[in-house]
Amino acid sequence: MADTQALQNPLRDEQRLPRVPDPGVMVIFGASGDLTSRKLVPALYELASQRRLPLEMAVVGISRTEMSHEEFRQKLRETLEEHVSGGVSDDVWDSFAGGIFYLPGDSKEPETYEELKGFLKKLDAERGTLGNRAFYLSASPSLFPTIVGRLGEAGMNEGEDGGWSRLVVEKPFGRDLESARELNDEIRRHFDEAQIYRIDHYLGKETVQNILALRFANGIFEPIWNQHYVDHVQITVAEDIGVGTRGAFYEEAGALRDIVQNHVMQVLCLTAMEPPVAFDAESLREEKVKVLKAVRPIPEDGVEEYAVRGQYTSGWVWGEEVAGYREEENVGPDSVTETYLALRLFVDNWRWAGVPFFLRAGKRMPKKATEVAIQFHSSPHTPFARDDTEGLEPNVLVVRVQPDEGLSLKIGAKVPGAGFEVSSVNMDLLYGTAFLEEAPDAYQRLLLDLMLGDPTLFIRADEAEGAWRILDPVMRRWAEEKKVEFYPAGAWGPREADELLGRDGREWRRP
Amino acid sequence: MIGETRESPGGGPMSVAEIERELGKLRANEDGTLALRSSVLNLIVVTDEASAPEVTRSVSNLAGRHPARAIVLISDPEGEWNVDAQLSAFCNVRGGGGAQVCAEQVTIHAEGPPANHLESMAGPLLIPDLPVFLWYPGAFSPHSPEFAAMADLADRVIVDSAAREHRDASLREMAELVGREGAPAVGDLQWVGLSPWRSLLADAFAARERAGELEKIASVEVLYAPGGECRVLLLVGWLASSLGWTPKGMARDGDRRRIGFDGPSGDVEVFLSPDSPDARLRRVRLRSADYSFQISRHREHREVKTTVMRGEDLVAERTVHLGHFDLGVLVGEELQFRGRDEVYEAALRSAVEILDL
Repeated sequence: MADTQALQNPLRDEQRLPRVPDPGVMVIFGASGDLTSRKLVPALYELASQRRLPLEMAVVGISRTEMSHEEFRQKLRETLEEHVSGGVSDDVWDSFAGGIFYLPGDSKEPETYEELKGFLKKLDAERGTLGNRAFYLSASPSLFPTIVGRLGEAGMNEGEDGGWSRLVVEKPFGRDLESARELNDEIRRHFDEAQIYRIDHYLGKETVQNILALRFANGIFEPIWNQHYVDHVQITVAEDIGVGTRGAFYEEAGALRDIVQNHVMQVLCLTAMEPPVAFDAESLREEKVKVLKAVRPIPEDGVEEYAVRGQYTSGWVWGEEVAGYREEENVGPDSVTETYLALRLFVDNWRWAGVPFFLRAGKRMPKKATEVAIQFHSSPHTPFARDDTEGLEPNVLVVRVQPDEGLSLKIGAKVPGAGFEVSSVNMDLLYGTAFLEEAPDAYQRLLLDLMLGDPTLFIRADEAEGAWRILDPVMRRWAEEKKVEFYPAGAWGPREADELLGRDGREWRRP
Repeated sequence: MIGETRESPGGGPMSVAEIERELGKLRANEDGTLALRSSVLNLIVVTDEASAPEVTRSVSNLAGRHPARAIVLISDPEGEWNVDAQLSAFCNVRGGGGAQVCAEQVTIHAEGPPANHLESMAGPLLIPDLPVFLWYPGAFSPHSPEFAAMADLADRVIVDSAAREHRDASLREMAELVGREGAPAVGDLQWVGLSPWRSLLADAFAARERAGELEKIASVEVLYAPGGECRVLLLVGWLASSLGWTPKGMARDGDRRRIGFDGPSGDVEVFLSPDSPDARLRRVRLRSADYSFQISRHREHREVKTTVMRGEDLVAERTVHLGHFDLGVLVGEELQFRGRDEVYEAALRSAVEILDL
């Protein structure tokens, strides 16, 4: 498959100027949905405006709603200002919108694809899009297999005239291991793995990528990043918001499917992985998959020792009284859906043998915080009198992903004065503040990578399946058990989660 | 940008240790906590009294994206012997924690003989282990008395080839500088200003059926503002060096020039017209037998339009932002780049060949 085109352009100065993708078309299925107007089109507009997209770039939206090209453009334009940072210029929008088209059609019907195929050929001829296509599945996940199958039948799983064809799949990648495998098998009947871009926008965040920079651009952390020095690791993804208007969605998903299977597992991989040989798609993803493979399977009959399922009741968050989950809109009064999940995992490999990884994710926590805390062993022997070291705790290195991106290291220091009293102090480095510039939106980064054909920051099939494999016993057990532990909104999770660590004398950090 | 500039009440002659101590004090907040220092590079600026305010403003604008220790040297070799230091810190609150982060600036007035030994003052003030950029915002000559010693301190030298009255001489000296053995890496603000134009021109030929037209370019027209020769010659030099054109003759008609090249498919004629006073670069148009490719700037907005025509037919058209290019942005672009810029050096050599015609 011709995935790259060797068009020699002597005017391209790759050393100095940003790379611009080959001409191409992005086709969005489910184009009347929220994601298109909130994320995709604003990201594309900003990329176009900053000269990061090719001159010959077109966007084709498909969904069932009847709309003309012009009505579709108008609809996108109406909300654009809310979603771009730098304001909208009419001239730039008009020029960009000239490349936006809309086809009303039922994505289940073969005729839709015949029409699409003809339309894309016409665009190739009229707008010079070179037969390159990226199909973005932003429709309901239940339609993914059908759309992929129809694209394959219509021969659109290959680009026209030697162009490329890529498929973007939004999460969720299935509902469990079995459905993820089915979906992957279904997709791979028509598309090669190299053509498939599973998008988890978390990986497009600068701050998440910075975990890699911290670990692999600095020689001093790696030698102590293992079981010889590390007592345990805590990964926290906390939100202060509740489910809001997404009750119906959340009832189906829960924290496990919404956050843990994708975002939290990705952070686990980046924290625990071995150094990749190169920062390219296969090297990086290979190492991530190795982590997932090394995670000790959770026994289905002992799930409670590894996982805690929590749900918020009413309480107070930041001076505001908020409703419990069961009182939220479109949520069942006896729902056992988890809004909080804590896991105790072991990565059984040479580096991490015996080091527990405690993961937690929840809604209606006291504040929004994403962090990875590496808790080191205590010093083996302290020469100072016991009374003098009361305030001393083991070293902790915290990598904060958000909101105040940075590092903090807890170190022991002498308290000024006579005697030798030692106490812990926090050394903070806010590397996020070293650069004031706002990082680009995650979608901008990922859409550009997609057009450039770089899948490094996208999820490979075995990654998605590996994450489900770890969680599958938990989901099966919970499906039978229908029991959930409660925590008041504004707390750091249920009591049972404290016990998960307390059993071996550890406790959760307060982020 | 939200932030505050803190200045040291001190000033006057100070030792290196005193300067470091005073800079430390500037980072102390009113509540007794200490703001962080953030620096990813050292930036030495050599300027004169008249340009100092604008330069200082650009330097503090750079603090957001390129937090640096800035050492601004205001040099007056003709003056009475005097050295005087002023200190300031540009501090920002960032993040929910309310932590202050400061970038420091040391301004040194050097008059009389010390102005010829600026390196003796800049060197000890550099933060160790960080790259050193040396920026000459004004007229620059590699033959100036202090330059060689200053360049030894620097990993990269940033200049503005158009800052001198005599622009031809400026380009020639720059070419000579980059041609020297062991010469420092050089960045030119005139070249950075061309980046979006170069990018847009490259984009215009991305379509497969037009890629071949690059070899068949027969004429180029550039419309620009009077005084913009350096930038325009670099643009033409870049086209010539990238596309394999050899200059063979030049004709002048007032300020306008017509330059002839030998191209891969025959003659190429380049017309330079400084007839557009309101935009440094107004329009670039390349023509082959079948196509015309035009990039033109909007009269009022910072927007540029690309137009590709085949005969009378419009083939492609697009409007994008040109981007903001004040002094701080241009310098910021240069600070991102390390090492020698070979494309620039080739363009510069080619520009000098044109001047030699």
